[in-house]
Amino acid sequence: MSTFALVHRPAAFATAGVLRTVDHKDIGVMYVLMGVGFLIVGGIEALLLRVQLATPNERVLDPSTYDQLFTMHGLTMIFLVAVPILVGFANYVVPLQIGARDVAFPRLNALSFWLSLFGGVLLYLSFVAGGAPDAGWFAYAPLTEPSHAVGSGMDWYIFGLAVNGAGTIIGAINLAVTILLMRCPGMVMGRAPMFTWMVLITSVLILGAYPILTSALVMLLVDRELGGRFFDPAGGGNATLWQHLFWSFGHPEVYVVILPAFGMISEIVPVFSGKPLFGYRFVAGSGIAIGFLAFGVWAHHMFAVGLGDAENAFFSATSMLIAVPTGVKIFNWLATMWRGRIRLEMPMVFALGFIASFVVGGLTGVSLGVVPLDLYTTDSYYVVGHLHYVLFGGTFMAVFAGLYYWFPKVTGRFLGHRLGLAHFWLTLVGLTLAFLPLHLLGIEGMPRRVWTYPAGLGWEWPNLIATVGSFVIAAGTIALALNVWRSLRTGDRAGDDPWDAYTLEWSTPSPPPAYNFDAIPTVRGKRPLWDRKHPDRTDPS
Amino acid sequence: MSSSLDPIVRLSLVVGIIAALILAGVLIALVVFTVRYRDPSRAQPPQIHGHRSLEIAWTAAPLALLAVIFVLSLVTLGQIGQGATFGSLEPPVTVSVIGHQWWFEFRYANGAVSANELHIPAGVPVELDLASFDVIHDLWVPELGAKSDVIPGQRNVMRLFTARAGTFAGACAEFCGLEHAWMRVVVIAEPRADFDRWLAAQAAPATATGRGLEILRSNACASCHVVQGQLAGTSIGPDLTHVGSRRTLAGGVLANAADAMRAWIADPQRYKPGALMPRVPLSDGDLDAVVAYLESLK
Amino acid sequence: MSATPVPLRRDPNLVGIGLFIASESLFFLGVVIAYGVFREQGLATAKAQLDLGRTAIFSALLFASSGTVARAVATRSRAWLALTVALGAAFLIGQSLEYVRLLGAGLRPGTELFGTTFFTLTGLHALHVLVGLALLSTLLGASTARRSRVGASAWEGIAMYWHFVDAVWVVVFSVVYLGTFVG
Repeated sequence: MSTFALVHRPAAFATAGVLRTVDHKDIGVMYVLMGVGFLIVGGIEALLLRVQLATPNERVLDPSTYDQLFTMHGLTMIFLVAVPILVGFANYVVPLQIGARDVAFPRLNALSFWLSLFGGVLLYLSFVAGGAPDAGWFAYAPLTEPSHAVGSGMDWYIFGLAVNGAGTIIGAINLAVTILLMRCPGMVMGRAPMFTWMVLITSVLILGAYPILTSALVMLLVDRELGGRFFDPAGGGNATLWQHLFWSFGHPEVYVVILPAFGMISEIVPVFSGKPLFGYRFVAGSGIAIGFLAFGVWAHHMFAVGLGDAENAFFSATSMLIAVPTGVKIFNWLATMWRGRIRLEMPMVFALGFIASFVVGGLTGVSLGVVPLDLYTTDSYYVVGHLHYVLFGGTFMAVFAGLYYWFPKVTGRFLGHRLGLAHFWLTLVGLTLAFLPLHLLGIEGMPRRVWTYPAGLGWEWPNLIATVGSFVIAAGTIALALNVWRSLRTGDRAGDDPWDAYTLEWSTPSPPPAYNFDAIPTVRGKRPLWDRKHPDRTDPS
Repeated sequence: MSSSLDPIVRLSLVVGIIAALILAGVLIALVVFTVRYRDPSRAQPPQIHGHRSLEIAWTAAPLALLAVIFVLSLVTLGQIGQGATFGSLEPPVTVSVIGHQWWFEFRYANGAVSANELHIPAGVPVELDLASFDVIHDLWVPELGAKSDVIPGQRNVMRLFTARAGTFAGACAEFCGLEHAWMRVVVIAEPRADFDRWLAAQAAPATATGRGLEILRSNACASCHVVQGQLAGTSIGPDLTHVGSRRTLAGGVLANAADAMRAWIADPQRYKPGALMPRVPLSDGDLDAVVAYLESLK
Repeated sequence: MSATPVPLRRDPNLVGIGLFIASESLFFLGVVIAYGVFREQGLATAKAQLDLGRTAIFSALLFASSGTVARAVATRSRAWLALTVALGAAFLIGQSLEYVRLLGAGLRPGTELFGTTFFTLTGLHALHVLVGLALLSTLLGASTARRSRVGASAWEGIAMYWHFVDAVWVVVFSVVYLGTFVG
């Protein structure tokens, strides 16, 4: 039996095969595997970068290689790891959570996966076709214009992201229509699971943000291939226009990769505290608020551009505003734990790690919304520290939590607890060593995206520690891989509802059959399984 | 005010303390709740769904706090932004800054041109007029709290200030290509009188002698460099009129000394791979002469 | 509980197409904004090179095709559908002729800023029209063989897309042509 079949064994899969499957569970697993594959590549890229930066004046990598690696590391982690993994979880879990048999458009679902993957392949083909893109993941003009860019790397950037983006947009349409129209009887949005809520808002963010990136990519293509002048000041164009367009996509994008994470944590903390989510309405409402505000903060990435005091003040205000709905969720999770009965199973352990790390990243994020502070720290290692705390300490920690939580549902087996703890501690210690010193480096004056740095400025120790931390993270990831490998073969078996949870996916066998449910359920409240287990007590609906 | 960094430090202390308190609160709650309420027995705790007024309170309080920080940030910006005087009564000294791949050019009102090194008077506000020769750069002087993008097709202005003399490091803070890492600057603040003297000397044309000048003229050097009064060329590369007086070479990758200058000219790619300066093949004797000439351009 | 799924109140296909159209509108918004940013600089060339009259005529044909497609959907009429395709094709032919004339006059995406913005914006729209024509033609073909088998979703969804393409042209025509010659 193939390893893939060990991971996931629905009836649909056996007959259709990987290439032809349209089952949302298969596709969910395929997305996650795609993300894992690219995680290994992106992770190795990170380790190479950190080796180069471990000591000053290092020459392990030359500047051209370094620039390609840091560009591809960023592109990979965001577009080819974080988004696919989160979309993968959404694909697998959401139809089960809402009592549906599949997503609204199963064939389109398969198409969106293959497009996402193909876009990633295109991006990586650049390495063997003249060089990878090397202008950073945000690719500021006019560095990317024909007058300044060497080689075809940026063309691969354009095509890779456009194809990958098309896949993501189609996937978002699918998830949105599924959630809007295919909820089982009784499941008004006010009773939908929080993960489902967050996936819906994320889908709307994708639909709003990705097309703007596509428009910018098309314009860059016109500049590069048809002699256009959109972004080249030498030809009358405007370099800042690229930044406006890119960040109009780029900022909603970071909420795309954090909202599903918030959703996962909002499922896990209640289950392992034995209580409902504290303030369900406020948490859902804060997600909606973020959905709107996300499109109004983009220029906080551009405070040093010289837009003007009024513009800077506006974006500072909106950025600080969006911190509120983002941050108060932490209070909701803590209040959920308060007076609960906490079970420190692995999903909960990682959820706690998420909260601890995300609050750090969130607070440094607020500091970056304060213009004079941002003017000091922008484009320095402080920002690199912030973004890794929210993306790794945030998104990835939540993904790990979700993995331990839903692995039994997908495979019918638990992930091991002891290896899980090893994975957790290596990850937490690793991320602290790797990313905390970066804030200090930024404050000490180290700019970002530098292939090397001078000795004698006091940057040696923090850089060395950060490099060590990156390898500790790698060790943690190996522990996870080991855990998955072992658990697939000999892990403890899990029943339908191994965690005593609340939502509908736990009413199906583990793994669920191709058709998900024998009969489409009807729900009366936010916690259908809790309702079934406690028919005498009613949750407020 | 002792420097344009001060208002930023003050604000960062306020924000930092607030952030530290919030962080501590959250982490303590996390640990306390985990320890206090830990109970693997799956017994039923009180099913609390929420508390409206509490949630409104913990939404309103951060909002109020952020509003206060926002106002403080506007005050801080007023102290360091356009037209800031930093408490000095002196009219500002203006310097024109041009970003190149990968070095900074500084042009003063009296015609003096320098590279890699920005001299400023202490106790006087300095206004930098920023433009780019090619792609987007950014001039960042952390110790003086100054940062601004340098964008082609756009003119940016920023002010900085230090009350006392000193030497400060600066760097490019916007990825601008292969050698973004080596686009560093030395900022030297001097008492007014010393600054004025330096400025006058830097505006004077070169009067050095030596065989090196002939070698420069007979090679392609003038296609990128200029020595006022002695070598008519272009400003694609750094102005060399007073290169001997500078502390660093090539965007900070080398400290300026005869052997460093020699090594740089002999093989620029070795020290700054990707640098736009070509390798000019010179014999040992010619190279010595060129270095001697350039180092004499004080 | 029920063994069969509850029938949906809204057609998922139409909701999906609606979401796609909303998303694609933002794509065009990005390009329109870019056009707007550079409008001043390109105004002189625009005034000199654009032909408002001829473009208005071909635009009218496109706008009329929205009417014909609505009629086609309401009556499931292949004749009205075919007319829609013809009108859409006429618009594209008009656009092509316009392009040939401008390119012949030396205006290209690479020659100057107006060339860049004009060809990009109108070119992207033309591509969307082409896709729309392909969809309409497919519908026309499919409704021959098995008229009753072509679902309501196909008629209404494709019509929605066609209306969208039309609406985008309302914006582009206003911004580029009316914006140049009027006001």
